[in-house]
Parts: sequence; C-alpha cells; structure tokens
Amino acid sequence: MSVWGWEQLLFIVAVTAVAAPLLGRYLAATFRGAGATGTSVSGNSVSENRAPGDRVFLPVERLVYRSLGVDPDSSWSWRAYALAVLALGLVGTLLLYAILRLQGVLPGNPTHAPGMSPLLSFNTAISFITGTNWQAYEGETQASYLTDTVGLVVAQFIAAGVGLAVALAVVRGIAGKARTVGNFWVDFTRSLVRVFVPLSIIGALVMVSQGTVQNLSGFRTATTLAGGTQKIPGGLVASMESIKLLGTNGGSYYGVGGAHPFENPTGFTNMFDLLFVIVLPFAIIFMFGRLIGRPRQGYALVAVMAIIFVGHTVVSMQAELHGNHLLPASVSQAASGVSPGGNMEGKETRFGPEGSALMTVGTMGTTAGATDSALDSYTPVGGTGAFVAILLGEISPGGDGGGLYSILVLALLSVFVAGLMVGRTPEFLGKKIRAPQMKLVLSYVLTIPVTVLILGSTSLVIAAGTSSILNPGLHGLTEVTYAFASVANNNGSAFAGLAANTTWYDTTLGLAMLIGRFAPIVLSLAIAGSLAGARVHARTRATLDTSGPTFAAFLLGVIIIVGGLIYFPMLILGPIGERIIG
Amino acid sequence: MRSALFGRHLVASIVMLLGLTVVLGFGYPVVVTGLSQLFFHKQANGSLIYRDGKLVGSELLGQEFTDSKGHPLPQYFQPRPSAAGAGYDGSSSGATNLGPSNPLLIGFVAGVNTVGLNGQPSAANPFATKADPACVPVSPQGTPVSSPAPGQKYAMTAGGSYVCDPNTVPERALAYRQFNGLAANAPVPVDAVTASGSGLDPDISVQNALDQAPRVARARHLPVPQVIALVHRYTQGREWGFLGEPTVDVLELNLALDGTP
Repeated sequence: MSVWGWEQLLFIVAVTAVAAPLLGRYLAATFRGAGATGTSVSGNSVSENRAPGDRVFLPVERLVYRSLGVDPDSSWSWRAYALAVLALGLVGTLLLYAILRLQGVLPGNPTHAPGMSPLLSFNTAISFITGTNWQAYEGETQASYLTDTVGLVVAQFIAAGVGLAVALAVVRGIAGKARTVGNFWVDFTRSLVRVFVPLSIIGALVMVSQGTVQNLSGFRTATTLAGGTQKIPGGLVASMESIKLLGTNGGSYYGVGGAHPFENPTGFTNMFDLLFVIVLPFAIIFMFGRLIGRPRQGYALVAVMAIIFVGHTVVSMQAELHGNHLLPASVSQAASGVSPGGNMEGKETRFGPEGSALMTVGTMGTTAGATDSALDSYTPVGGTGAFVAILLGEISPGGDGGGLYSILVLALLSVFVAGLMVGRTPEFLGKKIRAPQMKLVLSYVLTIPVTVLILGSTSLVIAAGTSSILNPGLHGLTEVTYAFASVANNNGSAFAGLAANTTWYDTTLGLAMLIGRFAPIVLSLAIAGSLAGARVHARTRATLDTSGPTFAAFLLGVIIIVGGLIYFPMLILGPIGERIIG
Repeated sequence: MRSALFGRHLVASIVMLLGLTVVLGFGYPVVVTGLSQLFFHKQANGSLIYRDGKLVGSELLGQEFTDSKGHPLPQYFQPRPSAAGAGYDGSSSGATNLGPSNPLLIGFVAGVNTVGLNGQPSAANPFATKADPACVPVSPQGTPVSSPAPGQKYAMTAGGSYVCDPNTVPERALAYRQFNGLAANAPVPVDAVTASGSGLDPDISVQNALDQAPRVARARHLPVPQVIALVHRYTQGREWGFLGEPTVDVLELNLALDGTP
C-alpha cells in the first residue's frame, strides 16, 4: 500500500475510534430505560429514565405511542416482539410493492419511469424492507422520484430502525434480569426519532455542501463544448444517500451508486460516506458494553470486528493498487504523484485504486454493501476481500443492530466450544448456555450458508441461472455465488455484470433476502427469549472471562474456522482459482 | 390469542407506516431540500456550468469531446473511456463490469484466455496482428465476440490482418499513442485506457493530461509550456493533502482553453 493509502486507512480508524465510543455513550443513555426493562437498571419505566434530548424528543414519541395505541411502559415476550417485527415487515413490503407497481400512474415522476413488473417489484420491495438493497432495477430510468423518496427511503428508515430495535431486545434477553425483552414500538420509535432521522439530516447536508445533488429538476439538457447534448440528472440524492449509508442499507439513487459524481463527488465525501456507514455499528457495540455494565465486553467484540475490518480492507487495497497483471506492460499501473496507477477499470480517478477499495470493501463488512467502484472488475484478490467480508457473516462491524446480534450469537458458539474444551458448562454474562440455546445458535449459523449454497449451486447448473452471467470462466461463477452470498447476508452489493432482472433471479434472490433477514431476527430473539430471566451466576475464578484478549482471539478463530469450513470450496472455485489460472 | 396479537401489531404497523410515509417520505426530503437549496444552492443543483448564459455541463460530470462522427477532437483534452450509454450519457451511468481476465478488457493474452479458430482453448492467439498480439476480432458487423463460434469468419483489413475490437486495453493504448504522437512503446497512464465506475468520471490523472498537452498545443497553435501551465493550474490536489487522488477536471480545463486567446 502507498503512504496515501495508509493515511486514509489510519484516518478512518482514528475517527471511528473517537466517534464510535462517544456515540455509543449517547445510545446507551438513550436506550437504557426504553421499554420498561432496561438491562442494567431494570424495572425503570420510560418516564422515570432521563435521556439526552428528552425535551425535544419525548413529546414526539408520546404522540406516536398514542396514535399507535401502545402502552410504552409494557414489556413483551420474545414471541410478541418477533410478531411485531414480522407484522411491520409484511405491511411495509405490501405498501412498497404497490408503489413500485403503480409508480407510472402516480405523481412525482418527472423522468417518466413506467411501473415495475410484478417480479421486479417483489424483488425490490423485499430488498429494501430487509435492508438488503439489492438493485435489480436501473436507478435513473426505472424508479420515479416518488418511488425513491416515499417508497425506498421510508423502507430504508424502517430497515435501520428494526435492526437496532431487535439488537436491543436481544441484549435485554441475554443480559437482563427480566423475563421480557422490551417493547418493539418503543425501541423502533426511539431509534428513528433520536438516532436515524437527526443524523440523516446532518449527513445529507454535509454531502450536499460537497456537491451531492438534492433537487427536483428531472433531466436538464446541456449543450456540450463539442456541440453535442448531455442529459444532466437531478433528484433527491443526498436525502437518500445519508440514510442509505447510516442505516447500512446500501441502495443508491443512481445505478452505479457511490461511483456517481453526483452522489459521491470528492475524495472527502468518499471517506465521509465510509465513516457514515461504519461508525454507528461500532457505536452499537460500545452501547452494548455500557448497557450490560461491562464496557470491557464491548471492547473485546469491537476488537474482533476491527481486526477483521482492517484485514479484508487492507488485502483489497493492496491488490487493487498492485493492479491487473494481465494488462500490457506498457500500460503504466505504477502509482505516483501524477497518476493513481493500479487497477483503474471500474474506478473513478478522484478515488484511485486504494480509496476505492477502502470505501467499497470497507462497507462490505456491514450490511450496507455501498460501493464506489465496479466490484466485477476488481482483481481476483481484491474481490476476495469483499467476498470474505460478506461470507464471515457481516460482522466487521455488521449492520445497525445486525452486527451486534450476529456477533453475540457467534460469542455464544465460542463459549460453548471453549466450554467443551475445558469441560465446564459454558456461560455467557453469567448465564448458563445449554442445549436449547445451542440448537438455536446452530440453526442461526447454518441458515444462511445453506440458503446460499443450495440456491447458488442450483443457479450454476440450470440455463436460467447461467444465461445471466457476463464474464467467462471462474469469474462468471463468482458473479452467481457472490449474488446469493450478498443478498442472503442483506449486503446487496453485486458483481454487477450478472443480469439479475430475470424471472429466476428476481424470485430466488428475493427468497434468499427474506430468509437472510427474518430467520436470523427470529432465531436471535428466540435465543434471547430462552435466556431472558435465567439465573445470573456470580463470577468465580473458574468462570471463563469473555471480555479479555484470550476470548477475543478465540472468538476470532471460531469465526474464521466456521466461515472457512463452510465456504472455502466456493472460494477455491471462484476468485482463488481465477487468480491461480490467470 | 397469538393471532389476535398479530392482528393488533398489523393495525399498529399500518398506522406507523402511514405516519412514516408522511413524515419521512415527504417531510424529511422537503426539509433536506429546503436547507440544501437555501445554503448550498449551486451544489444542490449539480454544480452546473454556464457559458454565455447557456448550460454547457457540470463540474462533476465528464462529457464527450468528439465530432459528429464520434472521432475525438484533437484541440480538446480527452476524458477516460466511458461505459455510460454510448459514452458519458447522464441518463445511463454505468461501468463495463468486465472481469480482470475478460478478453473484451485485456484482449486475448496467450496462455490465459486465448481460443483457437474453433473456439476451443489454445496456447496462442490466432487473431494476433503485428501491432496488437492480443487482438480480439470483431465480427463483420463490428460486434465483439469473446469466444468465436466454429467456422465464424471475421473481417480482415486490406493488409490481411484481423479487425480488432477497439475497446480492449491494448487497442486503446495503441490508439492513445497514435492520437498523441507518442513513441510505439511509450508508457500509457492506466486511467487513459480503462473505463470508470460511473462512466461519468469528470477527471483524468495529471500524467494523462500532460501526455495529451503537446497534441492539444499543436491543434491550437499554442506553445506547449503554456498548455502545460494550464494543466497545472487546473490540477486539483488531494483533499486535506491525503484524501483521494490528484485530478484534472477535463471540462474545466477545456473551457479554460477555449477562453485562451
């Protein structure tokens, strides 16, 4: 890596290291009392707990609770909580489906986008409600302004709020003393009112100040210097961009996402966008440590996530800077003060190979999967960095909330394995982990790989699957396996050469997104429910310390070994094989 | 009991969704648009550039500098190759998405992706020409074919060599050297022969601009140092000294050239 690459990476790490703990402190103060069963201060109701900004936010929230007919001081079982999540998902999907089908006749359509086909609407509605933001449609021409702002942006807020809410419920179940896990409507409302909406507005304004567009002009026609014409797009880009990133959604206004100069205009916005994705998921882990009254537990999980983040990002940055060795030698790929060098196919000059890889692969460990360059054109090693980040299950640092409950499940798996090794009943946060929990943990760990491998391999043997492939050879195989891994982990990024708007892919990818979102949510809530109210044992000298470096290293090992065992054959047939043959 | 609970949640979900649609679907973008238009009017509208009151483009979007037949105009600095529509189409941003070993990107490289006349893998490239050993032939209609069908015939030039797909990196490098009067094996900056991620990249690298400067100077009858000085004046350094890469905005540079007497 070049000195500029290291400086940009260091900048990201340093800003995150300062901002995430501060934001985590705010989050902990905000959610400590929410939903009657705070975890460290159990038994306090919303009205008894003070949180920053109550004077502004509380009246808004009370109004919401009254309109919904919800008692904010009630706390529910995990089943009731999961049912509420599913109900909101169902209603949200249906409304979005209707908007997509009808956008051609609805107002707010200056670009004259026709209504989407039933299958494309099915795929897109699920895609945005689940926070995957897989985009089988073309942003500029196939989505109206109304679809973007009213349909997709609302779905992006919902996905973000649901993720954080579920994480809060899981924390209460795993660490709290009560038998209930909280109140979904309270968690969801508070996360929108106190986190996602205010931060989105601020982020959008920062982006606009740098050149991200925010207007209602439709296409303007310019007469170019050479005498031709150029259509200049408009749109409500910044307001979508900020919740796309903050909510770890990833769905862009324009088809090419963060590569578009109207979305990500400068080297500064490129890094700002990356920070806007990763700071909040890291902050949620810090929040967890504070909520359970053991900040060190949060640090241990953050350390594991940060190591994985830096790992896959550095590998890709290095590979992309090194360039494509198959280009003729007389094409200069050496980086210097006057040329970015490296593998510039599918990359923007202003970001260069390292800035592109840092932003694109940096967001791959979250469920955002926001890109500023064409992943399909990455070198095999550079693409592997992105692929591995997804295959490890989106835990570096994961989605908003999703990252937390994913790594908690993996921590439970780790204490179980460690318990077997030393011959003691495994314990996490003082609660015994037994067979019922482990059955749920294993279902959680296996659901997504089974979905990815079955649907992915089926697509590789039937014509409906292979006819969509753009690139020949092993690279084409990666286009397919990557698509399923990406959507099942709610990432949504693509090796975009794959022609995904077909009957086969719209259907199967839609199903994979549904499973990949709601199975983990229900299973992690079930785990939380099974631990809620369990006896908390006092720590003794024989208790396995889950917040020290030993456990962190062990957890890291479990994550890599589990992911490796499941996916290594797929990687061999894909990017690793491609690199060896090339 | 549970279905009654689900029913209650459904009702609450509908109310919540209607509220969110109003507040976040309409209110949120209105607030952001209002503040943006108030405080950052130029940026929010696309950093548009007007000349003599007429809209000529945007600082942030690249555009083509070609004649009506699609040939590059020598008096203008040329942007990077583009995969947006037919080239720099603002309504159709896009990348090529070609993989790093795809013949349509790198050509037929011997021992990596070459195929024989029968379409089966072969050690050498039967379509190699003297100028371009990696030549990927195009069909008589000019359609690129990465894996030729058996018996398919490709158009040959008068000299007996194949017509090569002009959009591979080796072919673009040949064309770049010829257009700019560079030596046969002169290094070509990588950004000049690869397509960007958006197809709308407004920038080229400084090296790319410097390599084009003598040609532009010749076409405009300007001294080369004057054009090079202009390139340096329109070079945008890394933000904060280390974020991103140094760039030259092609449209701004060409506008400045047009304004040079």
